[in-house]
Formats: sequence, C-alpha cells, structure tokens
Amino acid sequence: MILLQQSMLDGLTGDDIRIEKIREKLQAAIELEHSTVPLYLYALYSLDPAKNGEIVSIIRSVVVEEMLHMTLASNVLNAIGGSPRLDDPKFIPTYPGPLPGGVEKQLTVQLAPFSMAQLEIFLTIEEPQDPLNFKLAAAQGDGITIGDFYRHIAKAIAKLGPSIFVHGPHNQVGPDLVEESVVVTDVASAGQAITTIVEQGEGTSKTPLEIIGKGYAHYYRFMQIKKHYLLEPKGDSFAYDGPPVPFDPAGVYPVPTQTAGWSYPPGSAAAAENDTFNYTYTNLLKALDALFNGQNTAAQMNRTLGLMMSLKELAKAMMSGIPDSKRYSGPTFQYQPANLQHG
Amino acid sequence: MSYLNAVRLHFAGQFQANVSSVNNDPEHFRNSTFEPNFQRLQGPGMNPPNGWFNPEGDGGFRLLGCKITSAWTQSGPVGANDPVLSSKIADADDRVCGKLVDLDPQQQLVSEIWGLQVRLIDRTGVNLLTGDFLEAPFIDLWDRAIGASGNGDVDGGAAYQSVLQNLVWGDVSKSPFLTQLKALVESGIAAGGKGSLSIKFNLDGINLDFRSPSFMCGRIAGTIGPASPGEPRYMVLGRHFVAYRSQASVPAQNFFYPAGSLNFCAGVIDRAASNLYLDLGNALPTTVPGGPMFDLGDLTVHAMNGAVSLGAILSQGAHGYASQTNWYEGCAGVVFLPLNAAQLAAAATSQLTISGAIPNSVISEASGGGYVRADKYVYRVTPGESVDVTFYAMQWGQPLADFDIQFVQDPSQLQPGAPLLSEQPSPAYLNVATPADAIKFAATATTDRNGKAVLTINTSNPGAPRWAGPTDFGLDGQVYGIRASFKYSAAPNANNPVAPSDAVAPWDFVSILLWSEFKTSDPVQWSEIQPILQQYANLYPVMNRFLDLGDLDSVKKNLRLLKLAFGLAPSDPNSMPVTRDLSKQKRQALLSWLANPVGAPTPPSPAPPVPSTTVAPSTQQAFAALSKGGKTAAAARRLIRQGAKK
Repeated sequence: MILLQQSMLDGLTGDDIRIEKIREKLQAAIELEHSTVPLYLYALYSLDPAKNGEIVSIIRSVVVEEMLHMTLASNVLNAIGGSPRLDDPKFIPTYPGPLPGGVEKQLTVQLAPFSMAQLEIFLTIEEPQDPLNFKLAAAQGDGITIGDFYRHIAKAIAKLGPSIFVHGPHNQVGPDLVEESVVVTDVASAGQAITTIVEQGEGTSKTPLEIIGKGYAHYYRFMQIKKHYLLEPKGDSFAYDGPPVPFDPAGVYPVPTQTAGWSYPPGSAAAAENDTFNYTYTNLLKALDALFNGQNTAAQMNRTLGLMMSLKELAKAMMSGIPDSKRYSGPTFQYQPANLQHG
Repeated sequence: MSYLNAVRLHFAGQFQANVSSVNNDPEHFRNSTFEPNFQRLQGPGMNPPNGWFNPEGDGGFRLLGCKITSAWTQSGPVGANDPVLSSKIADADDRVCGKLVDLDPQQQLVSEIWGLQVRLIDRTGVNLLTGDFLEAPFIDLWDRAIGASGNGDVDGGAAYQSVLQNLVWGDVSKSPFLTQLKALVESGIAAGGKGSLSIKFNLDGINLDFRSPSFMCGRIAGTIGPASPGEPRYMVLGRHFVAYRSQASVPAQNFFYPAGSLNFCAGVIDRAASNLYLDLGNALPTTVPGGPMFDLGDLTVHAMNGAVSLGAILSQGAHGYASQTNWYEGCAGVVFLPLNAAQLAAAATSQLTISGAIPNSVISEASGGGYVRADKYVYRVTPGESVDVTFYAMQWGQPLADFDIQFVQDPSQLQPGAPLLSEQPSPAYLNVATPADAIKFAATATTDRNGKAVLTINTSNPGAPRWAGPTDFGLDGQVYGIRASFKYSAAPNANNPVAPSDAVAPWDFVSILLWSEFKTSDPVQWSEIQPILQQYANLYPVMNRFLDLGDLDSVKKNLRLLKLAFGLAPSDPNSMPVTRDLSKQKRQALLSWLANPVGAPTPPSPAPPVPSTTVAPSTQQAFAALSKGGKTAAAARRLIRQGAKK
C-alpha cells in the first residue's frame, strides 16, 4: 500500500478550509493519477501480446481507468473554479523516483519491462487499506492512503458547500467524450466523481467489484496476474480460479530498465526515436491541457485520441525491435516541447 | 508575391518521411496472393524483397531540428538581434504529425504531404506563428547527388511548394521581420486574400539504412514568404528555367539527369526593388547525398542571348555556394542579383540563361519566355465527378492572356506493371490509363486576361481495370496523366512563347486517380468490407500494433477507433493513410458498416503457397535493381524514360 505524506491533507481538515487548498490538492491528485501511467505503459508495451495477451488486457484496462481518473479529478477541479495544468515540465515525475506526494523513500518506482517484481510495485501502488482476503496491513507510520486523500478532498468540498461551485457546467469533459466520466456541477456530483476514482482504484471494503465501471478494482486486477488466474465470483465471494493468466517470460522484449540518470547515447538511433516519442508525449499533455481547459469538444478529443494512438505506435516500435530487430529501447517519458533531434 | 520575394525567411534541418514500403509493389495489393513475408523487412541487397526497405513505416512526415537560418525584409537581411533568427521551425504540437501519401502504386512520383502543421517557435518554445500546410505533392524529382549518381533514392532530390493557411500569430512585436511579414499578410487579407503564406522546400539525402539514427530522414531546406491573393498556390508566377534530359548513358539516370547539370527552377524580377530573385534550391547538384553543392564554377546570369550580363553567383569566397559549407542551409538556394535600369530593360523580355564555368553547365528559359503549368496537379476523383484544373500561362514572367493551351492524355510517366513480374507484357490488370475514355476533356482552352485557363475533366466509371477478382480488388480504379502545352498556329519563332525545342519537363503533367464505382448491399455486409480492411492490414503492418483489421472480432472491439480513423476529413492527420487510398464510395461503405456492423466472420482463405527459398541469379539481379529505393523502382517502370521507349 502506498502512503502519502500527511502534509497532503494540509488545508483539507479543521475549521479553516480554503478553496485554494482544495484546488491545489486536486491538481496533486491529477499528477498522482498520471504518474502511474508511464509505469504501466512501459510494462504494457514491453509485452508481446501474442505470448502474454491476458496480462496485456489487464494492464491496459487499468491504464484506461487512470486516464478516466485524471478526467474526473480535472472535472472536479474545474467545477470549483480551478484550472488543471498538465502542460508543464513539472507535471511529469522523475523516474526512477517516488510517486508525487508519496512518503519519502517508501516506494521508488522506475520504468522497467514487465516482470513479477515490477508487478509487486504495481500491487503496492494500488493496494487498498483493507485488502480483501488479506490480513489487515500493519500500521505504517503517519502516512495516509490515496483513498484517504480523496475522501478528505470530498469532505472538504462538502464542508465548503455549493457556494464554491462555478455556476453551470464549467470546462467539463463528460461521458460523451470519455466513457464513465461524470459532469461535476455540485457537491453531490463531485462526490460521485471522487467515489468513482477511489472505488475503481481500491474497491470497497466489501467487494473487489467496482461500483462504477465494468470490472474489479485495480488491485484485484493486478492480483490476477500474480495468482495466475482470473478472479471470478464463487458463491457469495470471489476466488482466483477463473481462466488462467499465464506469464511467458519469453514474451517480454529485452528493453532496458531505466535506472537513475538513464539516457540513450546522443546521436544514437534509440535517442532519435525517444525524441520523437517524448515530443509526441509532450504534445499529448498539451492536448489534454486544452481538453480540460475549455476545448472540451469532440474534435479536441479526437486530436487527443490520435496522439494516444501515435504514442502507442511509437512505443511499441521502440520496444519490440522495429525497425531493427537487434535494437530494443523504451521511451523515457520526458517533457520535450520541440523535436530537436539532428538539430 | 510568393516565397520568392524580398520578404522571406529561410530554414534548414532534417525531415523524416517514414513511409510504409509494402505498398510499393502493385502485386502486394492482391489479397489472394499476399504472403506474410511481404510484411517483413527486405533481406541484404533486397534478397528476398519481402516488404521492401521499411514495411513498418507509419506514414509520418516530421520536421526535425529545423532552424531559421536567415530572414530578409525589404531593406535587406535582418539584424542579428531580431529574435526570428533564434527561432525554429517545427511541426504540430497539439495533434499528430503530418502524413506522406502516394497517389497510387502506379503513380508513386507525386507523393503528397497531408495534415502537416508548421510552427515557428521562439527560443523558449512559444509559438510565434502556426499554419496548416495545404496538402501538396513533390515535383522536379531528379538525380541530384551527381558525385555519387546511380544509387537511387538516396541520390534523389525534389521540391514541395504550397501555402500555409489558417495562420495563428503569437506576439511577434519583438521581431521586425515577423512584424513586416504579418503586415504583408494582413494587407493581402485587405485585398481579398485568405491570409496565407507561401512555402517551398527542397528535400534530399534520404537515408534508407534501417540501422541508422537517420533512417527515413533526410535534409530539408526551405523558404517562407507572403502569398498574394489570386496567385497560384503551388507554383511561382515568374521566369521558369527549363532543363533538358541528358542523353548520356553514364551516369545512370534514375529520375532525371539534366544535360546542363542544373535542374528546373524559377526566378522573379522585382522591378520596384530592381532585383532578380532566383531559387536554385532544387537546381544545384550536390557532391554526395545531402552534402555540399557541387562546384559548377561561378554561375553567371545573362539576358539578350548572352549579350547582357545580369551578374553572377560565386562559387568561391566568403559567400561561395560551393566553398561555404553552410551556404545552402543559410539561403535554401535562394539568391538575388541587383539589376540596374539597363539590365532590367534587357531582362524584361528576353531569354535568361544561367551558366556555370564548367563545360555544358547551363539552363535557360524557353527561348520565347513561355511557360504553362497546372497549379494543382494531383487529383483523386469519384466516377461521375468533374474536376476543374487551373492552368497558368506566362511569358517573360507575366500572365499570358488570350492564348490557346492544348491538352492530351499522356501516360508516359506513369508506372505500369509490377517490379518483380517476369511476365512480358504485363497482364492487363497492371496497365495504366485504360479505359482511356473514362476521362474526357476539351482539346484546348484559352487563357483569360490573368493568364488562367480552366480545364474541366469529366469522368465516368472506369470499371475495374486493375481488380484482381470480384472480391480481390487489387488496385482501385485507374491512373491517368494529362499534359498541357502551348498551341501555336504560326511557325515557331522567337516571339512565340514556346521554344522550338523538344524540352519536356517529365514531371509537369496532371495526375488523376479515378476510382472504380463501388456498390454494396443494404445494409453493408462484413463480407463486402473485409477485403478492403484485409488489404489495408496487408499493406500497412503498422496497424498490427493496434488490431487485426481482417478479423471481425478484432474490428468490432475497435469500432470507435476505426470510426475516428475513417470518419475524418482526408486533410486531418488522424485519418490513416488508407483513407486517402480509399474511394469515397468505399469509405462510405466502411462508415455505414461501422455504424451497423453486420455479417458473419469470413472463412479463412487458404494459405498461399510457400515461396521457394532458392533464387535464380536473374531474379537476384532483379532484386538488386530494386534495392535502390521505392521511387527508383517506380521510375524504372515508366512507359517512357530518358527519351527512349522501353
């Protein structure tokens, strides 16, 4: 279970709750949701789908929901008069490093190909406070869980009440553009958006099922990989005895694990491809920034989707040895506003 | 005004043209004979050919590390403190990159750039200007690297000219250059224009080594200036220098090897500024691909049959085009010569000639100063549609009014057949320009007072001349060529706009892809759609990174993505390359089916025969001939090349 610093709750509790603080925390929430995406994508595209199809499906389904969570947190932030900021070098965490807001030195994440060890990191990120079928996690210092963090945001919003909401839907990215999204206009819809995030991430204390959405909470989705079987309802409970989720280590491309200070030799083919990837990635952040700040149109959503597809295509080429089957690399996910290779 | 004028900026850097090479071979369009190895990289020396040199290409056209190297206002080069000089040229930052698309596997020599956004960004990355590049094909393809000629695509050079539209200006107040450029655009809008910029760039030195960091990249050098209302978008209204093909058999000619070493180029005389502007950007040969300019000696420009010198472009010294390694990047080949009153008068109505110091290095205007060309020269047409093609005629750079232009079908530069086919002559389904009567147009048209003539091309269903079977479409429709020339009744003389010569610009013709009529059941069935998608899956292995397009389940899981990819305007960079390969009727059928995906899975087709792994020496030779690149292989199939019938 990842624990956030106690300071993440500063300004959300007590009698002196200020809207600026809530906005700041929602921005932090968007950054936190985003911070797992490069990690999951790196593992996802390191897998040969012909050999590890089930694992690919599971990781991909989680990434899609992390994108939804970014949208939901942005909707809440917009609804209370804030402006999500994604087009910013500081928006992207440094890998390897801690997740944003994480308790110092508790968990360092790095971009690495899929492995059972990397899966353990994913499980730690997504682990709920009281994982079902597991003994209660021991008290871990003075950190707070991601769920706690969101619940405090919801409480703080409820406490300040309707007056903090911008009149009418403001810069909302609704379900017409992003499936399962929630248009936030008041305390109730803000609560619904936040509940969706928490339950898709953690589940509830009663069931691993998502209340909103089609599957299990992220932790249980990843556990299926660890247990090698899909989770299925059994009687009035659940068990990991569905169809198998095999892991074929030969179906992982030999891409680098990005240790501290990782970079490709300047002028190398991998560096050139990585430049194009990072430029496209930065453009996606710009496009999302626009989508969440008033350009909430189908056309902008299409531009965003196009960039996501382009990133997928570029990452898969780098990681699966295209065009040179003797060379496997992986993107570094860095902010790069111009494609200056060869420049 | 166009890019070739006093107010202009030059930029240089690299481009990436990451085209897929599977569709280079027309035989790869037949689903029934498609083999899995056609999606793999070619072997050494193209043995085996497989999917040629870049089967996994994504079609992207990207601008890489392009710097602004100089900028000019009406009063000369801008000062070093103008921030435009520390700015860069980049492609889109809020959408995917542009795409490079062939018209047809049998007309691969007009590859168009679609959906490219061009940005001018300051040193901190802030947008000073963005514009959408109006899709355009290249022209004047030639064997440019004469120091290494014979190696194919890597030696080639070509030029793109178009306009940048939908301009969005940032804060340009700190740059005197951009302030002046913006003012010119705004005065163009005031005069009824759309507010565009004119852009022209030259590409050369493409790298086809898949292990190189520069794989599918090459050199780009270009120029941007104001576009005046009413002027053509894809060509210069000005003085046009005409190259003759070399009759020598050595060095080998893949595309076009000018006898005078200088390739087709344009000039403009600005009478107010008393300057002759010349764009030699795609006219000067290089020593090696993407390398320095080949030293032809000082290039002197003359008028009046050599009697009046207009000045020289020096090869050596502080500004020497051959001696200064960054000369080309600094000006993109655009130079100007100041003219005095006598020179202006001499140049106004007499043939201009550019001559180098080494023997036979020369290029001239037509002796009568005439030039006619279609502005837009690539069309995709649905049967039954009419297209209006606008031609511009000029003499001595001025509009040539009330003059007859004649038009003929000319398939000579199309590329029938298929590269690895031993069958001679090629089977009928690999012919081009048949049936000839599916396109109809008048034999002549007369220019108006602006030198413009419009040719209406009426079309009808060509049938399926290139289909491989009822459900194995092969190549859709048919490709045609139409060539224009001046029509003159009197015997040719110095006052006629056409030189009494056989100078024919090989690439100067209108290319038309006329699609086959395509009818479906209602509602459209999977069995009718599957062959289209299967062909797409075959030709663009990059799609395997997303889905299996030939598989009903996989397609159904990706309906949203496919609706997006097929539903957008072809000018949208998110529409996949195939969208522009598809006829409107096929695209409409696809969209209908995606909205209502009915039909049962199609039974898997029998596996194609496994090809023999041993290859005869003659076949190895054929492979080696193809290993020079896609454009070289296509150019080798032209009906008429280098003046000799095949």
